[in-house]
Amino acid sequence: MKVSLSWLKEYAAVEMETKALADAFTMAGLEVDAVTERYEYLDNIVVGHITGISPHPNADRLQLCEVDVGNRTVSVVCGAQNVKEDIFVPVALPGASLPNGVVIGKNIIRGQHSEGMICSDVEMGIGSDSSGIKILEGVLSAGMKLSEAINISDTIIEIDLTPNRSDCLSIIGVAREAAAFNLSKVKYPEITLPDSQDNIQKFTSVKVENPELCPRYAARLIFDIKVGPSPFWLQDRLMSIGMRPINNIVDITNFVMMETGQPLHAFDYDRLAENRIVVRCAKNGEKFTTLDQKERSLTNEMLMICDGEKPVAIGGVMGGLNSEIDESTTRVLLESAYFNPISIRKTSKALGLNTDATHRFERGVDPDGTIRAINRASQLIAELGGGLLIDGIIDHRKGPVKKCLIPLNVKDTNRLLGTNFDLKIIKGLLQSIEFKVEPKDEYSIDVYPPSFRVDILRPEDLMEEVARLSGYNNIPVTFPQASGESKKPSKTPVERNRIKSIMLGFGFTEVINYSFIHKLSCDHLNFHPDDPKRNMVEILNPLTEDQTVMRTSLVPGVLGTMNLNISQQTRNLKIFEIGKIFLNNDEDSLPEEIEMVSGLWTGSCHDASWHSTEKQCDFYDIKGVLEGMFNTLKIENITFTKTPEKSLTFTKTGYSADVYIENELIGIVGEVDQQVLSTFGLKQKAFVFELNLDSLLGLIPDTISSKPVPKYPAVFRDSTIIIDNNIEATSIKNHIDLLKEDLVESIRIFDIYEGEPISKGNKSISFRITYRSSVETLEDDYVSKLHKNITYNLVKKLDATLPGDQ
Amino acid sequence: MGKNINEIKNEALKELESVADVNSIKELSIRYLGRKGIITQFLRNLSNLPKDERPAAGKEANHVKIFLDEQFKNAIKRLESKSIDSGLKIDVSLPGRPSVQGSMHPISEITRQICDIFTRLGFSVVEGPEVETDFYNFEALNIPKNHPARDMQDTFYISENIVLRTHTSPTQPRTMEKQDPPVRIIAPGKVYRCDSDVTHTPMFNQVEGLFVDKDVSFGDLKGILTMFIHQMFDSETSLRFRPSFFPFTEPSAEVDIRCVMCKGSGCRVCSQTGWLEILGAGMVHPAVFENIGYDTSVYTGFAFGMGVERIAMLKYEIDDTRKFFENDIRFLRQF
Ligand SMILES: [Zn+2]
Repeated sequence: MKVSLSWLKEYAAVEMETKALADAFTMAGLEVDAVTERYEYLDNIVVGHITGISPHPNADRLQLCEVDVGNRTVSVVCGAQNVKEDIFVPVALPGASLPNGVVIGKNIIRGQHSEGMICSDVEMGIGSDSSGIKILEGVLSAGMKLSEAINISDTIIEIDLTPNRSDCLSIIGVAREAAAFNLSKVKYPEITLPDSQDNIQKFTSVKVENPELCPRYAARLIFDIKVGPSPFWLQDRLMSIGMRPINNIVDITNFVMMETGQPLHAFDYDRLAENRIVVRCAKNGEKFTTLDQKERSLTNEMLMICDGEKPVAIGGVMGGLNSEIDESTTRVLLESAYFNPISIRKTSKALGLNTDATHRFERGVDPDGTIRAINRASQLIAELGGGLLIDGIIDHRKGPVKKCLIPLNVKDTNRLLGTNFDLKIIKGLLQSIEFKVEPKDEYSIDVYPPSFRVDILRPEDLMEEVARLSGYNNIPVTFPQASGESKKPSKTPVERNRIKSIMLGFGFTEVINYSFIHKLSCDHLNFHPDDPKRNMVEILNPLTEDQTVMRTSLVPGVLGTMNLNISQQTRNLKIFEIGKIFLNNDEDSLPEEIEMVSGLWTGSCHDASWHSTEKQCDFYDIKGVLEGMFNTLKIENITFTKTPEKSLTFTKTGYSADVYIENELIGIVGEVDQQVLSTFGLKQKAFVFELNLDSLLGLIPDTISSKPVPKYPAVFRDSTIIIDNNIEATSIKNHIDLLKEDLVESIRIFDIYEGEPISKGNKSISFRITYRSSVETLEDDYVSKLHKNITYNLVKKLDATLPGDQ
Repeated sequence: MGKNINEIKNEALKELESVADVNSIKELSIRYLGRKGIITQFLRNLSNLPKDERPAAGKEANHVKIFLDEQFKNAIKRLESKSIDSGLKIDVSLPGRPSVQGSMHPISEITRQICDIFTRLGFSVVEGPEVETDFYNFEALNIPKNHPARDMQDTFYISENIVLRTHTSPTQPRTMEKQDPPVRIIAPGKVYRCDSDVTHTPMFNQVEGLFVDKDVSFGDLKGILTMFIHQMFDSETSLRFRPSFFPFTEPSAEVDIRCVMCKGSGCRVCSQTGWLEILGAGMVHPAVFENIGYDTSVYTGFAFGMGVERIAMLKYEIDDTRKFFENDIRFLRQF
């Protein structure tokens, strides 16, 4: 909402400096966005004294003026009739830009230099006289700023209004707040209607078929008007707040809307079929051309203002081309109505049509302001359009506006605000903004908010007014009494942060990607047609093509991050992300949200350096990260199994493992498939994992019970066996586990070898078993025998051989 | 026959004393004990001795050989342990073998700091769904359909009744539905609005707070937020409360802090105002309590919400909010 300070001052006495006023507005809840000087553009226009005139040698109608502009004399070509020697005139110097868009430069006009322009009122946007240049009067000196010479200034205050304050969508509304700052009252413009004749009932009628959508409709007639340009003061008011003058009738309706907040509409009475008004809903599919020359398709929910035959306006939204006021108009029907805010909003949304009128109607105009506004406009039309006011108003209303009574208790107010106001203070504050207050008893009052404060419905609304007017910053700072025990921190955020710390410790940097991804991401990741991750949540109104669905995997995000960083020459990357994926259930229920953790490692483990050569990361590096994480979290019973061929998606055949914890599949780890990499514009190998964090968190033990550290020494025995290449190393451990030999503490594989002298198709695996007893020191011989048995058993079970046997 | 074995031994020991690095000792060792070394040579020459002298001389020579070998080895060991202790033998200016930690995302870090402060003040952390029903995101918060307040937030729609939450405020009704007062929660999380420019990303992060109990006042809200700001920034940072409008609070307030960049004198960050808008807050609207079924004559409460990006930008002097989700590692590694 733009407010001209000079316009506002017509209704309220303002004693504050502009900056203080702007601050006061902000602190009263009318947040000031910007304060600008309206006539700043006049700064490059100075008072010039014409010291000499000679005819332009090459043009009969132009003259060459010598103008003293204070610090120098300039030549200016001028074509005005009224230019003469020894007068003071406004001179726009090079660099000045005028409201009509002209930027003054140094020109050559018909062969003569012209260093500036002598301006008329119209050219400077300060008056309507365009007949000649402006001749300045009074005590003047060359070089003075024009704004000082003519004493013109105005400040435009832009207010970012919250949707509840529809009462401030008018200059008077804002003036009311300004007046309250110094406890004065707004001066409402006096309305004196001109003499009226005849009777409106003779000429027109109003029929409202949908009173719920149009609780009030008032009409007036003004005949014998002359449509033409508005006087300058009216145009100037509108221009000051960024509105374009059109003609006197339209300008008056706009002026009154900006003054009072009540949108008005003027119809050409003679273009209304049967000269009457019918308010009804449109028919589905009905077409209507609005003032902006666009054809609109209507629905039966949209309220239309019609004449005896057809729609002439979309009620409260925009008038129609078919009843527009133009130069030929002589008789006007003026409309001032109260429309249902929800209905207006629906229509406005459906048509994508936001106007000054819809903005006010959907927030709620003063239901009691209808008549004042129509009378104010009638008065101005009669004054400025030279018309004849027809006697009487048609005021069609559903019933009188209910007076809203809100009881307010002083104790409740102080309890909510933490203040110590007495009844007198509260009463005074509310009265300062035109609330009616009737005392009930020592601690309570009955409050009647004014009709324009449609946002005040409850005692709490009144308490806010009290707080606002006394100043939020004057409310004492206190601290709440915390009752009850504070709760134990919830597990999820705590454990999530732990996992983050673990990943940070492993050298992974956290990334956060958008939750929405490209619609084709499931294809990009090779998800199977029946993969549940293909049930994506789609956004109806996405911003861009690559943000149309909610992700069902974090992998597109981390691959995208890899792409961005490689394009920035960061080729070695260790990143992880924790975030939700969204699996669609069905249309009308919420999707399943699962928190996941994903990591990506690409490039080298460590760069070439003075102490080591470069090493590229591989599968075992990223698997080690997971093992390290599980180990830190004390999660046990983890198995990594080769991802079955048929369920492979974004990982490479043979280089992918499913991660199971206690037989629950919780994720995948592996090398990214070549094809998938290239879809993401990537070439270098990347290793990723994606785990279900929710499942993982559930597996973290709540308690840890310590065990005694071993008292007796361990004995180590190594063995090497040769087995089929296809047997996974883990089968050694699995088989030994099956033996349930208590003395076996751990098994560690320390070497794997393929090639000569091992026969093709086989590999040798060397492992170390640690033996320990919890009750005694083991005898070497005993362990040797045990180890021999275990190895022999293994050889049999795995169809293996010992190195010597070959 | 040349020198006797004891002379050789003494010479060797003398030479050993004069050298001070491992390589020289090794050379010395080879010169005496190597295949063509002096002692080896000596042993070979024993065959020139009379037969009966040979065993005694051989034995003595072998003793010397073992003795010298030990001396050389010990000398090397001493030097090596010395070189580690004294630092004489390393170049301290060479970079060490790296132990590199990753970096926490600045948004996570700030969220953690905010939650830590409120946890210390007795709040517990709760979380809610990011895809939300129209009911929890709007209706339960006193924002009915077709209310102009809906324009305050550009909403991503999934269907007519399902949206991407536009704020963390749905955690308020969701929490109150499940428990009776007192309520003291803090709810961090991602939120979504269809808006994208230098100051807006379609996804961003908020932290919501809710405190409901008997006799909780606006003054208490000011107290808690003042305490928070002082811990988050510093105790010199002053706050300003301005009236505002949120459909689910009444009275509602915007909270500004003194610009942390210019300390109030006016700069680009605060648009010359000296103040930075940082929080929205207010007393829980009675309509919200009524929807839940809390007795408004007994309980009052306050709620607040803040943008994590905004605070992170101020704390870390970041000028473009889009940087948070680009994930350029050179940006992220700074935190
Ligand atoms: Zn500043």
